[in-house]
Formats: sequence, structure tokens, C-alpha cells
Amino acid sequence: MKIDDFTKIPRVLGAGLVSEDGFIIEGQAKFEYDTEKLGAIAARVVNRIKNSLGVAKASAIIYTKDNVLFLRDSADGIAFVICQKDANVGLVKIRLDKFA
Amino acid sequence: MSDELRVDSGALIFATLADVYISSGMIDEAISILKDGLARNPNYHLAKIILGRAHFLGGDVDKAIETIESIYEEVKDSESANLYLGHCYHKLNDNEKARKYYETTLKINPENMEALHELEKLIPDFTPQPQVEITEPAPVVEPVVEESQVSEVSETPIEEVEVAAVEEETETAEIAAAVPVVEEAEIPQREAVVEESDESEVAVADQVIEELPEKAVEIESVPLEALDKPVKKLLDLHTVKGVFLSTKDGLLIKNYDKGKHDVETTCASIAAICMDVDESFRLLKRGGLTRCIIEKSDETLCVMAVGDSLLTVVTRVEAKPGLVFVYARKIIEEIEEILG
Repeated sequence: MKIDDFTKIPRVLGAGLVSEDGFIIEGQAKFEYDTEKLGAIAARVVNRIKNSLGVAKASAIIYTKDNVLFLRDSADGIAFVICQKDANVGLVKIRLDKFA
Repeated sequence: MSDELRVDSGALIFATLADVYISSGMIDEAISILKDGLARNPNYHLAKIILGRAHFLGGDVDKAIETIESIYEEVKDSESANLYLGHCYHKLNDNEKARKYYETTLKINPENMEALHELEKLIPDFTPQPQVEITEPAPVVEPVVEESQVSEVSETPIEEVEVAAVEEETETAEIAAAVPVVEEAEIPQREAVVEESDESEVAVADQVIEELPEKAVEIESVPLEALDKPVKKLLDLHTVKGVFLSTKDGLLIKNYDKGKHDVETTCASIAAICMDVDESFRLLKRGGLTRCIIEKSDETLCVMAVGDSLLTVVTRVEAKPGLVFVYARKIIEEIEEILG
């Protein structure tokens, strides 16, 4: 499964894979979104979850006013997908589970 | 510490170790170590109280009562012995006895919040902490009660005795301002004290006057029991392990956790994560967190922002977060209203 499998889903705004220290390994995003910034956020939040809750692998779905951000710790790095809140969140989750 | 205990099995340190086990949720280990220790130190009453507590927390209420009551005469002034007997009888729905033990706990330590809270549940109109608006503590009053006054005290309602004593002994403006509030709020509690106590009314009057300065700094409590009803709807979902409410900066408001979490640490951790998310999304100018799902290997945390608070629902891995959010959304308005 590739990153663009996510960005093909309607209302998905960006997706990528980032290293634990926040550097982008692979990423795609719509023009108003910066994959570098998204990657940095993903790494920061995942590291925070791992440190705070003492878990080896972190996985989170974060809802904001307009967006939903998926984060998933995988062997290759931290996968992230950002979509509009009216996107098919369930489908994104299934694809992300397969990806990780 | 276990090794230390093995070396000197007669050491009283076993009670401390048991207490640590209980705090960590290792009830069976605590019971085992307490029984072993008590076999060597049968007169160590504190250990028996801890054993009673362990039985209670382990769900064996009858054994808890049996253990603590076997030494009650020797430990009747113990706050925790009375508190746990109160808890035990409360669990057995023997509210009369529960109330008696909670009241004794409060006589020993009027600031025992657990006993206050349970008494409030048992007696809905229980008003243990009247709010007295005094900014500075009043001087301690030690009234000299003569014999002629004793008979007067016994026939006069306590609040009148109290007010009269205050008026006689102090002329500060603060006390004068406090008197009407005391008159309204203290009547039920003082009457209860007179009914329950074998001490003379004079001693009670002394106690009332001595307590007056302390009440000056007490704060009116928020009726958090109102949260029980909405939260119960969530707890009724069989995949929900626990629910707790905290402030956005990680301070616990109310805990309904059925598991053995270190809830305060979890609250602080979740608040830290939420703050990080909020700060991060500010970079993107995309608004702050409204809710999130954190998946752990053994459970899932569903967190929702409720006004200035965070509602965290701990569920089993197989739970459906969508369902949890549907239920949570239904109760969020009620919670917001209660928390103001």
C-alpha cells in the first residue's frame, strides 16, 4: 500500500510517513497543507503519547474543529493522514491499519 | 522490601509493604502478607485495620467487618477503622451503621473528605461545611460556663448558645458578620452532635466555639454527585472500563474508573497530550482538539473536550469508539451544565 492510496480517498488532505524525529520519509498533501509541518506534528504527538502513557507503539485519531488527523506508529516510521472531518473516517482507518 | 521482610519476618514493616501492595492494586498479595505478619504480631492493630481495608477493596465485605470489629474497642479512635467500617456497612446497605461510623470518622477528623462525601450521599441535606464569610480567623474563645449556665445550655438550642458566647467574648466586626450564616447552616449538624454524643452539652458548646475560626476558611463544595447519573449511561456500556473527568491542565475532577488505573497520572498524561495537540494545530491554524482516540495495546482512551474539562472514557480494545462518542455526546451537555 502506498501513500497515494490515502490521498485518493475523497476529502483526504494529506498523508505521509515520518521518522521518529520528525523528518519526512514520504508525503503528499494538498497545496494548502505542508507535509513537513504535518510530519513534525505527527512525530511530536506520537512521541508525547508514547512517553506519557508508556506505550511502545502509539496510535491516535485526533479530531479538531475542521479536520481529523490519524497517527499510527509502524515499523517504517510514523504514518499520518489528515482529512476533512466529513471524510469517510472509517475507510481511512481501515487503510491505515493495513498500511501499518 | 520483600527480601527485607523475608530476613526479618517478625518485622512490623509488613504493614507498610501491604499498604504499598494495596496502593498498587495487588490486593491478594497484601492480604497474604498481612495474614502472615499478623500470625507473628497478633496485637499489631494497624495491620488488622489494613487487612480489613484489603478485604474491603477485594470485595469481601463481611470479612472486612469481622477483621476490623474484632479490634474495634482498641482502635475506636482510629480514623481509617471507622471510615472503612462505614464503607463496609454502606456497601451492605446498612445505612444506619454506615452513618454512625462516618460520623465517628468526622468527629476524629472533621476534614476527612471521603467520610463527608459518603455522608452527603446518605443524608442528602447533610451540610457539614457551612460557608462563613470571615477573612481573618476570630480569636479562640474559651467561655467559662458556670453551673447555672449549664442548665441553661441544656435547654437552649446550641446555635443560640454559640451566638451568645460569641457575642459575650468577642466584639470583632468579622464575627458579627459571621453569626447569621452560622445560625442558618449549623443547626442540623449541631443537633446531630448532641444526639450522638455522650458528652455534656457544655463540652459541645466549647467544641462549637473552638471550631468557629476553622470554618472561616472552608469552601462550599460543588455537587459533583449530579454527574453520577449522566456518567452512568456510559458506564453501562459493557465495553467501558471507566470514565473520568479532569481539567484541561490535568487535575482530576471526578473518577468513575472501574479498573485499577493510576487515574491522576493518566489525567496528567492526557492533558499533556491534548496541550501538545492544541499547540501543534495552532501552527496549522486549524483549531484545537475537540476529541481524540488513543489506542493502546490493552485499552482505548476516548477523550472529549467538555467546556474547560476533559472527559476520558477508558474502553476495552474491542469497543466501538463511534458508539462511545454517540453516548458521550448525549451526556456532554448535562456535564457542561453541572460543571458550569
